[in-house]
Amino acid sequence: MFLKLEEINMRDAFGKYLHNIGDKYKDMVVLDCDLSTSTRTNLFAKKYPKRFFNMGIAEQNMLGTAMGFAISGKIPIVSGFSIFTSGRAWEFIRMACHDNLNVKIITTHGGIVGEDGSTHNALEDLSIMATLPNLNVLIPVDNLELVQMLDFALKNEGPFYIRIPRESSTNVHNKNYHFTMRKPDVVKKGKDICFIGTGYGTILSLKSALEIENELNCTVKVINLSTIKPIDEEKLINEVKNVKGVIIIEEHNIYCGVGSIVARIFSERYPIKMKIIGVDNSYCQSGTRNEVLKEYGLNIENIIEKAKNLLS
Amino acid sequence: MVINEAEESDLLLDILDIKKNILKMIYLAQSGHPGGSLSCATLIYLLYKKIMKFNPKNPKWDERDIFILSKGHAAPALYSVLSKIGLITKEELTTLRKVNSKLQGHPVKNDQLGIEITTGSLGMGLSIGVGCALSAKLDKKKDKLIYVLLGDGELNEGSIWEAAMAASHYNLDNLIAIVDRNGIQSDGFTEEIMGLEPLANKWDAFGWDVIEVDGSNIREIIGGFQKSKKTIRKPTVIISYLVKGSDISFMEHSSKYHGRAPNKEEYENAIKEIEEIEKKIGVS
Repeated sequence: MFLKLEEINMRDAFGKYLHNIGDKYKDMVVLDCDLSTSTRTNLFAKKYPKRFFNMGIAEQNMLGTAMGFAISGKIPIVSGFSIFTSGRAWEFIRMACHDNLNVKIITTHGGIVGEDGSTHNALEDLSIMATLPNLNVLIPVDNLELVQMLDFALKNEGPFYIRIPRESSTNVHNKNYHFTMRKPDVVKKGKDICFIGTGYGTILSLKSALEIENELNCTVKVINLSTIKPIDEEKLINEVKNVKGVIIIEEHNIYCGVGSIVARIFSERYPIKMKIIGVDNSYCQSGTRNEVLKEYGLNIENIIEKAKNLLS
Repeated sequence: MVINEAEESDLLLDILDIKKNILKMIYLAQSGHPGGSLSCATLIYLLYKKIMKFNPKNPKWDERDIFILSKGHAAPALYSVLSKIGLITKEELTTLRKVNSKLQGHPVKNDQLGIEITTGSLGMGLSIGVGCALSAKLDKKKDKLIYVLLGDGELNEGSIWEAAMAASHYNLDNLIAIVDRNGIQSDGFTEEIMGLEPLANKWDAFGWDVIEVDGSNIREIIGGFQKSKKTIRKPTVIISYLVKGSDISFMEHSSKYHGRAPNKEEYENAIKEIEEIEKKIGVS
């Protein structure tokens, strides 16, 4: 491994990955829309100036250009902030997915960004991405998973949306972790209740699980649902067969988010008690990230309370 | 490339035949866009027949030029041209807009037909062309040219102007946009819906080389394309002025036939009018 993964935040891990992998993938080109300093694609730009294209503040054209690169045999990496890229350029992404083009959309500032506030939060991106046929939607929980997802996306033909947070992330996996597309990643075993997290939701799940186990006489299973689409439904159902209930924790609007996707699967094939914790129909506001997370219920206390309700 | 009179007559007759097929396809489907298909039929046919490096026997030929029909609603024109050069059979043309047909309402990516990418949602083609042109530059394929056919109503889309900026910024002299300036969009005249003029000045201000041609004049169109190849360090736009629904008297200057199929009587009259023109050119 060429990165000291535990020492850097995920944006830096992404930037360094591109910088280090450029020689291996000669057909890879990187596009950004005037955010390369923030997304860290500037590291690639510096090393491979001919293969980096700053498209200005114009997400639609950036995606269209990437589509042109893809039909010309290149592997375009498209970066920017999650909400601007997925939202402004959505219909271009739709058509890239329609033709199953080899476009890799890797965005930063997924979920709650903190001080920049509501305009910059990405709390609807997963809804509008996961509805697109052919698109693979992935959310890494830590740097180790991110790097393996990037490897996977580059090795496999087709469109990908990978959502990276603005902030750093605690390492959940040890160095032996192997990312397997579609497979629910059980990061903690338990028997009574199952937390399903995505991205930072997984970290919150783990922290809450330990507190609940101390407080109540129970064990909590935690699944890191890093593949939002396509989900291996059979495997996911198998993982919750012996628990009393499921809590889904996502840094996203609960309307049409990851919880909704999972709820469809369970309600059709394995009805089980469920609670979805995420942003409840709001754009949120400015503040430190931790303050905002707490304000909108993405905190350990709220999760514990919801878990108690579910178990009672 | 100079064409003689005999060749010009042959091309004109081919184009008339293409227009008859456009009308037939849309009439049989009882849906489609006759106006904008008829107005760009000449441009598409000349591109495939005289201008682009393209081998119908090998549509994926590596050295081919790239054509993107950004105004995807002119699909019948593209299909009819592809039929003329042998990629689609006459029988297949009758399946337009039917379930399981290759000939979807708007063109869907198809390697066998040489359809590079799906189009139909307006305002995307020029950006895609920018990507193809940048890629060709990166690969040092100096002879590879990218042609993007735009509708004039389509220029209402802001993404077109994002792409126009980028093409000029990156000095994409291998990118040629063609504007089918037929003056009419779905709801009426372009200048009434969302004025485009002074259109040539707009492209010029965005850093493009502008060539204006009479879209009914084969020699002028070919001349325009030849001139575009000489442009250095700038993209080129060819604005082709042509009456919408041209050659069919009752369709000309009318937005009525932008997205409506002709009925039986209209279809038969249209075919008769084209056959009259054919007779004048020399078919008995």
